Amino acid sequence: MLYALRGVLLAVLTTTALVSPALAQGTVKIGVLTPLSPPGDAAAGQFIVRGARMGVEEINGAGGVLGGRKLELIVEDDAGTPEKGAAGLRKLAGQDKVVGVVGQFHSSVAEAVQDLAEQLKVPVFMTQASAKKLTEKHLAYTFRTHVIDPDRVTMWNRWIQQQGFKRVALLAENTDYGVGLIEETKKQFASMGVKAELKTMIFDRAVVDLTPQILEIKNWKPDLFINVGIGTPLYLITKQAFDVGLFPSTPMLMSYDAPARPEYWKTLGEKGTFATFIVYYHPTMKLTPRGEGFRTRYLEQFKEQPVYGGLNAYAQVMLIADAMNAAKSDKPDDIVKALLANKFTGWNGTISFTRGDGPYWQQWTPPMLFLQYTKPEQAFPEAKIVFPPELKTGDFTSAPR
Amino acid sequence: MDPYLLSQYVLSGLVIGVIYALMALGITFIYSIMKMINWSMGEFYMIGSYVQYALLATVLGWTLWYVALPVAMASVFLLGLVVQRFLLRPMYVGGVERRDEYATIVTIALMVFFRNLAIVLGGPNQYAPRDYARAGRLLTLPISGNRLVALISTLVLLALFFLVIKKTWIGRAFRGAAQNRVGIQTAGVDVLRLDMLAFGVGVALAAAAGALLAPDFLVYPENGAITTFKGFEIIVIGGLGSILGSIVGGVLLGVIEALGSVFLSPAYKDLYGFLLLIALLALRPSGLFGERERTV
Repeated sequence: MLYALRGVLLAVLTTTALVSPALAQGTVKIGVLTPLSPPGDAAAGQFIVRGARMGVEEINGAGGVLGGRKLELIVEDDAGTPEKGAAGLRKLAGQDKVVGVVGQFHSSVAEAVQDLAEQLKVPVFMTQASAKKLTEKHLAYTFRTHVIDPDRVTMWNRWIQQQGFKRVALLAENTDYGVGLIEETKKQFASMGVKAELKTMIFDRAVVDLTPQILEIKNWKPDLFINVGIGTPLYLITKQAFDVGLFPSTPMLMSYDAPARPEYWKTLGEKGTFATFIVYYHPTMKLTPRGEGFRTRYLEQFKEQPVYGGLNAYAQVMLIADAMNAAKSDKPDDIVKALLANKFTGWNGTISFTRGDGPYWQQWTPPMLFLQYTKPEQAFPEAKIVFPPELKTGDFTSAPR
Repeated sequence: MDPYLLSQYVLSGLVIGVIYALMALGITFIYSIMKMINWSMGEFYMIGSYVQYALLATVLGWTLWYVALPVAMASVFLLGLVVQRFLLRPMYVGGVERRDEYATIVTIALMVFFRNLAIVLGGPNQYAPRDYARAGRLLTLPISGNRLVALISTLVLLALFFLVIKKTWIGRAFRGAAQNRVGIQTAGVDVLRLDMLAFGVGVALAAAAGALLAPDFLVYPENGAITTFKGFEIIVIGGLGSILGSIVGGVLLGVIEALGSVFLSPAYKDLYGFLLLIALLALRPSGLFGERERTV
């Protein structure tokens, strides 16, 4: 009996000693810190998690990283609030020991998170946080593969000039994103010589009744209304603008890609028709083989088109994995060096990071397109591209008055 | 300022103020009977909006909102009875002596619980029922049909509430309990059972607000937060425990917020109500219609 037990023990010890070094080192953890509950844009967070998870599955299916170590995704909810974001990052970096964090969506949260990431020395990726100051601070551990607000404003100013709009009203939430867009628009109206009057208003993100502000804007008689609400406020503004008769008779531009999501029509019904909105991905776009593979698998798995947040989070996970393999290390400092020294395949092109001037620091920018829905319940792939001219698939349509 | 536009702002403030009053009425009614603050009032508003949406989306179809409304109110009324019976009743010792901290802790815990339950059951996304009615016009104000429906329904509910309180036996019992909980017991009224009814009615009023405003203010786990916040502001402005005060306070808050947003800055909309509240607390600490209480 004693001999038998000794034999079993010996066998266990031998097996343990012979397991691969990769398994002995355990999994490599990647964090997703994103809004998954209100007041954050929880729908955006869900798409980001989907994309990141598919990235991890793809890497693990292909054998993992660093010669066979599996990736593990740790998801934390920042709820769109800086304090929850900071707490989430502390947990991810301190307790879970992640090698990098993707998924930042709200600029206000991202600002708190990136400062902490600098102290904790963990790379963070801005998935859809676009305030220019995030990369303008020139932090070593902050990377962004998303558009920045000055570029967004340049695009809508070019569109305003092309369409000949003369009176532009901008209603923005009181966040870094909203206030930053107002300041940038004012600045670029002057620098680009936009020949239009501009009226700007800031609203409190917590307020649900925006009728007085919208009435004032209506009375000002704009010929373009820019809706800078994120998540629920975007829908509240659209509904209330429709109800007081401002929209769709006055064209509305929504500042980001929320209308690309399936929830858009469910929430707004026919009130969402004729909205113009900014996207960074369209189903007609030519993608890299990696992006195409993701799109195919996403369509199979979820029976709907991927949205940009998912694509970008997926690409960021692949980016971290590729950087680890290039660095042959899972140490955050080595990953940062590898990110700066190499070129990587993204979802629609090659991604590289340089330390440029101003906000172009460790920044890679995807394309931007203006889309318009012209029919109720119109499918996202059928929305026509109305700007920029070189990519457009149709002209901007005014709603019948 | 163009008088036409000014009238629009005032009307828009009046409309939202009357709807705010419905929320505040529930809070003040529960306070006047049970002498406790229900911190989870916004969550009953939220549950009302979810029940309304679920009924319309699955069972009744989008047009039967007026059938869904009483069902949503009744469901939340029953939930209120259960909450009062099993979670709040233990705060009373002999129907009179109460442990205020108990009610505070329980209702704050309920607030967190219901919000998270909504996220688990319905997800974090927002939903919206189809419009209850076509957009119309109220004098000079272009108004959504939903808001017009909410305004008329609120006025009907307020009138019904007044009738019940003033003209019925149960209303007299409620008034008695509001004046003196010991006295009403000597008249043979089971005050703890009355509490249960009062709590049910109070949260059903919040649910009515949630159900009525669902198409305009959307259905999502945190949609009650702002209404609780406004509700407490209103009852302090109008006077704690005063039903008339909650109506006048609601209207006043709605108008001041609307005018402040336009004439000063919309970024500080919530601040204007607080400025009014601070001024009132300095000049009339018991609120517009509140009465000073004497503690023996």
